[in-house]
Amino acid sequence: MTERSPRRAATRELLSAALPPALTFVIVIALWESVVRVFSVPRFLVPPPSDVLTAIWTERAPLSGALLTTAQGAVLGFLLSASLGTTAGLAFSLSRWLERGLYPYALFLQTVPIVAVAPLLVLWFGPGLRAVAVSAFIVSVFPIIANTLAGLRSVDPRLSDLFRLYGAKLGDTVLKLRLPTAIPSMMTGLKVASGLSVIGAIVGEFVAGFSEGNAGLGITVLAAYRQLRTDLLFAAVLLASLLGLSLFALVNVLSALLLRRLRAPG
Amino acid sequence: MVKGGVLIGRRLSTLLIGLSVCFVAGCGKKSEAASNDAGAAARAQVKLALDWVPEPEFGGFYAGREGGAYERRGIRIEIQGGGAGVPVLQMVATGRADFGTVGADELLTARARGADLVALFAVFQTSPQGIMVHAARKLEKLEDAFHSGTLALETGKAYAAYLKKKFPWDGVEVVPYDGGVAHFLTDPSFGQQCYVTSEPLAARKKGADPKVFLIADSGFNPYATVVVTRRELLQKQPELAKQFVLATREGWRAYLDHPEVTNALLAKLNPALDVATLGAAAEAQKPLIENADSKQFGLGSMQQSRWQTLADQLLDLKFLDKPVSVADSFQQL
Repeated sequence: MTERSPRRAATRELLSAALPPALTFVIVIALWESVVRVFSVPRFLVPPPSDVLTAIWTERAPLSGALLTTAQGAVLGFLLSASLGTTAGLAFSLSRWLERGLYPYALFLQTVPIVAVAPLLVLWFGPGLRAVAVSAFIVSVFPIIANTLAGLRSVDPRLSDLFRLYGAKLGDTVLKLRLPTAIPSMMTGLKVASGLSVIGAIVGEFVAGFSEGNAGLGITVLAAYRQLRTDLLFAAVLLASLLGLSLFALVNVLSALLLRRLRAPG
Repeated sequence: MVKGGVLIGRRLSTLLIGLSVCFVAGCGKKSEAASNDAGAAARAQVKLALDWVPEPEFGGFYAGREGGAYERRGIRIEIQGGGAGVPVLQMVATGRADFGTVGADELLTARARGADLVALFAVFQTSPQGIMVHAARKLEKLEDAFHSGTLALETGKAYAAYLKKKFPWDGVEVVPYDGGVAHFLTDPSFGQQCYVTSEPLAARKKGADPKVFLIADSGFNPYATVVVTRRELLQKQPELAKQFVLATREGWRAYLDHPEVTNALLAKLNPALDVATLGAAAEAQKPLIENADSKQFGLGSMQQSRWQTLADQLLDLKFLDKPVSVADSFQQL
């Protein structure tokens, strides 16, 4: 345990997470703009970033509505994944039988091509938020299960022995030893899942989202593509990835707070 | 697996197109005999990219290929079937295909975005785009479909924007169109966009009783299944483009008169459709392809006034930023 203030640690963690991608972003954008201009690439194939920014501004009203809709689906799917995934990981860690019986099927969720099953989700859940959230859930749950399980299994055997020696109850062992040990790994799972849930939501919207009123970014992407509006398409994609990044950052902050609490004395 | 072949094919096709244009330009009438003598090696290899899966709405192209209409004109045609979201315009604009089929509205929109493509042949004089609902709902007019139930549309398409602007949409849930009829069959309040030659027949085959409204009747009627090419090809190989159009017209004539043989082939290419359904579709599309205009001016012919109407409508729908010159958008060969 270091002595530096936890808040500063959290800020530093956030900064070190955000700075390198921001730098890459700036460099790529500069390169992209100059390549498109120098070689006069047709705009229906690749728009210059300046066009994309303009599209974000001129279409800000529909885009922000779409962002909000997609965010709802992604966050709902992510929360489903986080709660069910963590529970499943915990259950698997407590019972080899459960793990052997169910883990292969959890793995199946990881390998299922979401594009292929998305049309079924509409049939089962009806179009709109529910189907989109389930799509986000399917795509994002497995990393949480796998990382929770791996974290819970990574307890130092000597500490395990110590707990046994003192006759600790199972509940205490889980709460005071296994879960604290598992937190970093669980957070990794949640971070992976945060980005995936946005992907799942967008793919879900392709077939299951409402197209009028509160249409999500997935619908914006489809409509922009049909009109060869690559500027608007890139704008929607950019917003989708920003959504993924903010979810990721949120998980990062939460995990820093949680770790701080766990490491605080007493 | 296709990429390497496409590259080689394109290099080869450039050579072959060059050769055959020499024949055509240099030897006039004799070129046909010459190219026949020289056999396959002297034929121009062209690729036609379709914007949907093989169906009767492309029957004339297949009939032309099978019946030798293209071959007799020194063209070896490769027909590439498409599906939802296939970027036909981009493929033709960038040279990955020589010809492609799109909607007239898509062509004008793409031209406004900088893709210099030209329409050569319009298969459908009347757009087959429709809205299909369950007959049991007893809807009398197209606009009734926007008051209740669920409606699957391709948001972002011009016809959808037109309907949105023309009719009040209240109480309808709009969802993405997935290309099939599964939802339609399971949900009596479900309606969807359709080609009158396709989905209604598929739904009927599965026991549903659909009622179809043709969107063209409401005033939005772009030419459909329009053959386009890039201006560069048209300028460098005008004879190839012309022969392609003539062969396409011959193919469509053959398909309209005798669709049976081609339908047997289509049934193999697209196992989702059987010969009976294909026959019904071919029959249903006839009046949309052959109307007064195409009887007078020839199959596939286009009128400037209709292009202008479409351009005005697209401008009104903000699909175009500014008025465009439709004279550049199509060419009768």
